[in-house]
Amino acid sequence: MSPKKTVKRSFKYTKWFKALTAGLWQDHPTFCMVLGICSMLAVTNRMNNAIAMGLGVTFCTVFSSLFISIFRNVIPSRVRMLAYMVIIATFVICVDRFLKAYFPPISEELGPYVGLIITNCILMGRAEAYAIKNGPLLSTLDGLGCGIGYTFMLMLMALVRETIGFGTLLGYRVMPGSWVNWVVMTIAPGAFFLLGVYLWIFRTIAKKTEA
Amino acid sequence: MKALKIIIFVVIMGTVSSVLLVGMNSFTEPLISKNEELKLKSAVLDVLEIPYDKLTALNIFKDKVKILTTDKDKFFISGDGAAAFEFYGPGLWGPISGVASVNSDLSTIKTIKILHQEETPGLGSRISEHSFLKQFRGKEFSPKLIFMPEGKSSANNEVDAITGATGSSKALERLLNSVLQKNASLLKEQLNKK
Repeated sequence: MSPKKTVKRSFKYTKWFKALTAGLWQDHPTFCMVLGICSMLAVTNRMNNAIAMGLGVTFCTVFSSLFISIFRNVIPSRVRMLAYMVIIATFVICVDRFLKAYFPPISEELGPYVGLIITNCILMGRAEAYAIKNGPLLSTLDGLGCGIGYTFMLMLMALVRETIGFGTLLGYRVMPGSWVNWVVMTIAPGAFFLLGVYLWIFRTIAKKTEA
Repeated sequence: MKALKIIIFVVIMGTVSSVLLVGMNSFTEPLISKNEELKLKSAVLDVLEIPYDKLTALNIFKDKVKILTTDKDKFFISGDGAAAFEFYGPGLWGPISGVASVNSDLSTIKTIKILHQEETPGLGSRISEHSFLKQFRGKEFSPKLIFMPEGKSSANNEVDAITGATGSSKALERLLNSVLQKNASLLKEQLNKK
């Protein structure tokens, strides 16, 4: 028993594992950093939108973190914000064009919110707080962790909003025929209530209450 | 010296990202324009009530729909003389756009389809639902289409408005009246000319 335990312990305390899991739980972008809320309220009314948005954000965090980290010694500190913006914008535009070309219905539903990933504070935050100070591998893992954490939260929101608001899940009917849709869940105010409930639950579990 | 370094860095970074984006653009542009074409053409086939599926939409469109272009407008005419056209205009909260078709007599509506609207979810947004739009079938739009309070429509130029969405109903009424009449008279002119 004991050797297995030490293996597990050392694995849990490696740097890369910490970088990856920080965004998944400890420093979760939504309920710890409370970033990216605006687009979260806008795109989580249906599950497929939430998944597409989550994947897009994950792609952007991973690659912008990677490239910012690679060039962290070349970027002059006075124009680092500009450099972040250019790098992030490049990847976001790639995602936008990709969705428009291959998934036109999703692109239409998400509307301007794909382009607005550029202003998603999670990307800027990870760039300034992590990627500019750490190596490419760790930064990529950190970006991946944050992206997955955010995607997971989007999916949790969409799970409730789509089932209650439309009576469907991923377009398939899940509620009984007599179900009356709660229209408030499909619009932003309903999302606010739901997000509040989720924040309450997760912050209680993680004991992140402000003293 | 330091400033020069910064300028060089910014220029290089800008160039590299522009080159990347231009490459991406030229790669996806044909696909995107094809998607848009497919979207418009399948909407036109919908309102002209020509059956199709996704794979054959473009071919069916080519076979069965004639395009009539005037200097500003485009009309899509099917074999039985029905004509379809796009329309757009202001709703209550945002723009409304869609495709409408009129029967060959050019005075009654065949089908109306709303492609985009930003009305209040659950109230005004019901203008894009089939149960609301199906009542337009066969209605006469000249001299005027009238939206009546729900359940009160009786004449052949009256339809039921949506209770609780007076603003959206009014906006749609105004929009449909102006585009239907304008396009029908344009179409008549064009057909007479031939």
